[in-house]
Amino acid sequence: MNDLYIGVDIGSVSINIVGLDDSKDMQFKLYKRNPGSPVEVVKEGLASLNKKLKDRFKIAGVGVTGSGRQLIGYILGADIVKNEITAHATATIEQVPDVRTIFEIGGQDSKLIVINNEIVTDFAMNTVCAAGTGSFLDHQAERLGVEIEEFGDLALQATKDVRIAGRCTVFAESDMISKQQYGFTKPEIINGLCEALVRNYFNNLVRGKELHPRFVFQGGVAANAGIKAAIEKEINDEVIIPDNHDVMGAIGIALLAQEEMREKDEPSSFKGFSITHDNFETSSFICEDCANECEVIRIQANGKTIAMTGDRCGKWASDPRDIDVKDETSA
Amino acid sequence: MKVSFPYMDNPVLYYKLLDLLGHDIIIPPRPTQHTINLGVKYAPEFACFPLKVLMGTYLEVEKMGADTIVTSGGHGPCRAGYYGKLHQKILDNAGLDVDIIVFDAPKDWRPFLQNLKKIKLDNSWFRVMSVIRTAYTLAHSMDRIEKLIHKNRAHTLEPREVSDAWEEIQQKYMGIENRQDIAAVEKWARERLAGLEYNFPTPDQRIKIGIIGEIYVVMEGSTNNDIEEMLNELGCEVERSHYISEYIDSHLVPWKWKEYQHILDKADNYLEIMIGGHAKRSIGHIVDYKERGFDGVIHLKPFGCLPELVSQSLLDRVSEDLDIPILSLSIDEQMAKANMLTRVEAFLDLIKQKKEEEIA
Repeated sequence: MNDLYIGVDIGSVSINIVGLDDSKDMQFKLYKRNPGSPVEVVKEGLASLNKKLKDRFKIAGVGVTGSGRQLIGYILGADIVKNEITAHATATIEQVPDVRTIFEIGGQDSKLIVINNEIVTDFAMNTVCAAGTGSFLDHQAERLGVEIEEFGDLALQATKDVRIAGRCTVFAESDMISKQQYGFTKPEIINGLCEALVRNYFNNLVRGKELHPRFVFQGGVAANAGIKAAIEKEINDEVIIPDNHDVMGAIGIALLAQEEMREKDEPSSFKGFSITHDNFETSSFICEDCANECEVIRIQANGKTIAMTGDRCGKWASDPRDIDVKDETSA
Repeated sequence: MKVSFPYMDNPVLYYKLLDLLGHDIIIPPRPTQHTINLGVKYAPEFACFPLKVLMGTYLEVEKMGADTIVTSGGHGPCRAGYYGKLHQKILDNAGLDVDIIVFDAPKDWRPFLQNLKKIKLDNSWFRVMSVIRTAYTLAHSMDRIEKLIHKNRAHTLEPREVSDAWEEIQQKYMGIENRQDIAAVEKWARERLAGLEYNFPTPDQRIKIGIIGEIYVVMEGSTNNDIEEMLNELGCEVERSHYISEYIDSHLVPWKWKEYQHILDKADNYLEIMIGGHAKRSIGHIVDYKERGFDGVIHLKPFGCLPELVSQSLLDRVSEDLDIPILSLSIDEQMAKANMLTRVEAFLDLIKQKKEEEIA
């Protein structure tokens, strides 16, 4: 049996699972839209991983990243739970060792990561607004009645430039409608939207920073040829789209899990594939024991509390237990 | 008269000042989500975040029975200088009978003394001066302990125990009557902290982070997801650009101002004039932290704060010139802990890698 390292990236828009073997080759890859029930998607994903690889591999390490990493980390018994910035950078450096700049555009997050000599030296992440992220495009594609997958290629068919105000998704929509009414074609509008997104990304994250090649573009949006072209136009240079650009976070956290297990020299804390048959439920309650009034999140497996989090003092987190709480809200 | 005051970091100093004068006091609760929701509801949307949280606190203490709120004013041309007036107007409009007394930097002594008269009750002026001296000593004593905590909590196996000890220490400070008591509590506090278990790494292994930015979001843990505690738990020593004793010395005690001038001078290369708020001080502190061997700086900017927006725009240049990593975070009512942790964690990964590289 060979060792397998599982990387799970719980993003806001997609959930990605990969399995890497000892020589870092990918044995399993799953990219799935997050319909808002990450636990179910992860359970299904792991079940199909198990089905495919159980005869040849045993799980030697599990890493979880992404905005939903804490919860899934508890459920899986992850060996490492780490932020997606570090995970993304790790995966890219592995594939493109001389990378200096990573543009990562995901569903609701976008990131800029600056690297020097295989070390992250600076990063920026969008804060208050989803302009400059994939959901901006999703929204407009829906409005235009175009499949998001065709969006990028349509943009490349544009013959004229049209500028669409893209600071805010809502205003972009009104501007887009008026441009449509002027008679611009769909490809031109779509190209304008791609350029608006890239302009936003550069205004919000790059903010005049000096960037160096090589440039790598990854994240779910990297599949979009129109955005790639718009970035290349903006930086006047070539960008590389790595293999498996859509699951780089998962690859990165799998690599980090492998590293972690080598250093730790202990068996993986992975709870095993039996969890794919368990029923998980999340609920929360306001702890009223002190003035902090923390919202305590409780995770139950088959009706039994397995983890609690969110309390400042740690009295729930350190001792998760079944309790009867009034005023409970199911999440 | 039932008196209350803003909650910032802890309520001890304001409480003691008013308590020693013999006031009937409503102690404001630590801001919670409820406080913030209240404030956001009543404050203008484009007001900066601290104004909203304070608004929430004032509404909460009003409900608890307070009819007078004592607060300190702004300094320089930042909007905080109008907070008192604006809060008063919002409370008036809401039909609430609360009087806000604002103590401003004593450039002009007359309003300062008039305000003092309002809260002096029947104490002699001699007694008032003595109480102020006691409060002043208290502020410095507590800050010495808090600074110690910001350092040592990074190196204990159970950060929570240190936080609990700090709560206990604050309770002791609540009971002081005079400066002898303060000295005794401080001595006790040091022993209490020394009695906990630590695992101090060698000095070159320690990671030191400076926190700069607007005073309220830097000092008030409930607004910044308790970032000091978060950093301490992740093994970093922390120092803030704001401690209340230093604020008092640098803003309210004219003969102490020059002791803090060097911080402002250090910002001269980047910001020649005072633009209000704490912008220039923030930049000066980055230079100071770099000179003192800190590994990184976290900048906290309330959403809607103009002075810190200016300092934020200078950060890239400062970071590059001084070769010190800086993470800037915008704080508002939407700032979820998970978002903050992601950025802080990645920032610390970056710092650790940089440090390893420099040692190697």
